[in-house]
Amino acid sequence: MLAKEIERAGIPVAHVCPLTPIAIVVGSNRVIAGVKIIHPVGNPELPPAVEKEFRMRIVEKALVALQSKVEGPTLF
Amino acid sequence: MKLELSVLKITDVKFAHKTDIRDGVLFLNGEELKELLEEDGRLRNVEVEIARPGEKHRIIRVIDVIEPRSKIEKGGPNFPGAIDVQGVVGYGRTCVLQGVGVVVTEFADMVDSDEFRKAVDIVDMWGPVGDLTPYSKLNNIVILADPADGVSIEEYRVALKIAGLKAAVYLARAAEGFPPDEVMVYELSLDREIGKKLPELPGVAYIFQILSTQFNPLDGDPVLYGENVERIVPTILHPNEIFDGAVTAPYGSIFMETYFIQNNPILGQLYRNHGKNLRLLGVIIMNAPNNVDECERAANMAANLAKHVLHADAAILTKAGGGAPEWVMMRTAQRCEQIGIRTALAFLHMGMDVTEPTLKPTSLFYAPEVDAMVSMGTPVGSLKLPRAEKFIGRFKAIGAVNEGVEWPIRRIRGSLSQLGNSRLRALRY
Amino acid sequence: MELRRLRVVHYLNQFFARIGGEEKANVEPRVIEGPTGPGRAIQNALGERGEVIATIVCGDNYFSENVENAVDEIIPLVYRYQPDVMIAGPAFLGGRYGVACGAICKAVKERLNIPAVTGMHAENPGVNLFHRDVYIIQTGPSAATMNEAVSKMVQLVVKIAEGEKIVGPAHDGYIPRGIVVNEMTGQTGAERVFEMLLAKIQERSYESEVLQPKHDRVVPAAPVRLIEQAMVALVTDGGLVPKGNPDGIESVGATRFGEYSLQEEVALKEEAFDVCHAGYDSTFVKQDPNRLVPVDVMRILEREKRIGKLYNKFFSTTGVGTTVEDARKIGRAIASELRAEGMSGVILTST
Repeated sequence: MLAKEIERAGIPVAHVCPLTPIAIVVGSNRVIAGVKIIHPVGNPELPPAVEKEFRMRIVEKALVALQSKVEGPTLF
Repeated sequence: MKLELSVLKITDVKFAHKTDIRDGVLFLNGEELKELLEEDGRLRNVEVEIARPGEKHRIIRVIDVIEPRSKIEKGGPNFPGAIDVQGVVGYGRTCVLQGVGVVVTEFADMVDSDEFRKAVDIVDMWGPVGDLTPYSKLNNIVILADPADGVSIEEYRVALKIAGLKAAVYLARAAEGFPPDEVMVYELSLDREIGKKLPELPGVAYIFQILSTQFNPLDGDPVLYGENVERIVPTILHPNEIFDGAVTAPYGSIFMETYFIQNNPILGQLYRNHGKNLRLLGVIIMNAPNNVDECERAANMAANLAKHVLHADAAILTKAGGGAPEWVMMRTAQRCEQIGIRTALAFLHMGMDVTEPTLKPTSLFYAPEVDAMVSMGTPVGSLKLPRAEKFIGRFKAIGAVNEGVEWPIRRIRGSLSQLGNSRLRALRY
Repeated sequence: MELRRLRVVHYLNQFFARIGGEEKANVEPRVIEGPTGPGRAIQNALGERGEVIATIVCGDNYFSENVENAVDEIIPLVYRYQPDVMIAGPAFLGGRYGVACGAICKAVKERLNIPAVTGMHAENPGVNLFHRDVYIIQTGPSAATMNEAVSKMVQLVVKIAEGEKIVGPAHDGYIPRGIVVNEMTGQTGAERVFEMLLAKIQERSYESEVLQPKHDRVVPAAPVRLIEQAMVALVTDGGLVPKGNPDGIESVGATRFGEYSLQEEVALKEEAFDVCHAGYDSTFVKQDPNRLVPVDVMRILEREKRIGKLYNKFFSTTGVGTTVEDARKIGRAIASELRAEGMSGVILTST
């Protein structure tokens, strides 16, 4: 919902969401897999420095999504 | 696997010198029960209180309700793995005190800032709040206990669950030796003889989602044969195991208490019709994971078990938790439909409303094959709390549950149910 | 005590007011004393109970080309008559007319505090826009069903004027307004699901109690072209808020959002934040808020010039149990600020 309203204003949105099928069904156009509901861009099982790297990978994917042309809801 | 529930119908509970049953009245030696529960070093300051239907008493911070049941003769252990040795349950004779509930309450001074955990679920034994919950119609034995020094909040919560189960067994033991008011027999084995004669009866599986991992499951929670179910894959149980103590409600379950697992209404319906217009094949128990991979895995494995192991023609599905588990349930149903199993779902909605001008509420998710869904209500609405004459509980902020406070329906234990015992349905106006 | 006769003002388009067809769709708002066209049917249905004292007419195109303007012009016309209630249409399948009726009724209700009722077919675009705010009697597709429509509209508007309880869509004939309530039925959920399954297996008919939503699609926004120069904002619906939740964002069913300054922070600090979202276990996010709103790595990207700039605020709301209307309102408000600030892209993190 939020993603679509922001997108309607002409701003591309990279939607990071753990349950990606939900985001696709609702209609977010650029969807990136988050980790888990309880930590969407984190992983407490990793040591902090490694976790940060892990987070960086997800955000980098989000940036790729922002720079990609899409036709409709797309999983990155 | 034949299970006989020896039911004694209890109409009143009173404190007395000796725990006993006479003329449908349960006499309870509160001291003896209290001492039994204090044997667990994780608890201290245990108190046992009675709350009867109609009394203007408000029970605070209810975390579970359990029906007193205990195995008699050679029926196997009581709540195996949780309070007794491991063993299989679901056969033999079990005593049941119908009309009684063991109500487990929780109090902790420990700071627990999780919004959800701070929720105070109440049960009123009378009035408008009481009308909304089946637990106001039971004679309740309420367990109150504090954590012992140095005990973590997780250990405390497990200890509380264990105390509730122990109390349930202790009470039901009082019924041993008494002739039951009713005997309920649960047996699927007619399959062999009758099933062979009526192979055309459709086979139905019950896919029972027991836990959602959108909330951190409690470590050590004795949910399935004494173990936490955080990491389980879908597995098959005999319905009798569910009635007979193999499964308890996970801590923090939304709209699900052990009482209605023991008295699972879906299984009740299926059993009543077993051999008549269907064959009950079994129960597939699963949880709702919190990430896509595991959701897919769980949905696939559950559908597979239903189709290729149970040979189900149809399945009923229910869920645990909130919105995200709705996705897993729908996905499981969708997979079932895709491989030829017809499904019907029953659930509470957490969904957003939509703008279509229809009287019916909507699910959160879209799966065109899933076309049979029953609404069990939605967690909206509130009412003003009436004045209680007594509060049963150690919750400090009594002002929060006082007369006149606008109380959300979803915070009344038993008002809503994921397992189908309530008659509520959501409609759009 | 004799009930005072209700003073009713009626709104019509140019066609039903017999001014003309499409060629007259540009006529400006004007008033006709007393009832006209279908207003006479309304007067009949009212009988002694009320009187249509005036009819306001406006061309469908005049209205639809500038809705706000038209509403602003019409409101004083209504006000002048000091009516007890307003009736608009019925519009049947006329799209522009339906939107006009809905807009007028909503404005009359909100600005003049006068109850207003309209009527149109369920597929009229006016329904989607106004059914939450306005009582819309469900009508047939054409004026062939005028009498029935008028009768229901009058019944409902009289009920509202007299303070009588509105029973519900099925009884009173209006299109559901999207308020979800629980009702007791005669059977438990278990009984109903069992029967539904049996009907399905036995190939008898059954009707789902729950529908599946149809979500609208949005044309994807153009991709960011020069990411090294782009300003990117972080938004979340995981309910991350400063300690104490100063804006009081709801834990379920949010109707508002917050915007919180990042200033020069290189990462979100555990001690400064809390989570108000009640739909997930927030322990891990509270331990490290960057696990929900990834400020720490965005700062690294900023430093390494892999993005131009991280917007100095992040937006937060709760994404559980929100109504569609509130979600849209929140989204639009955030979107409009982002656009004003020239945002190139957004990373939205959800639980």
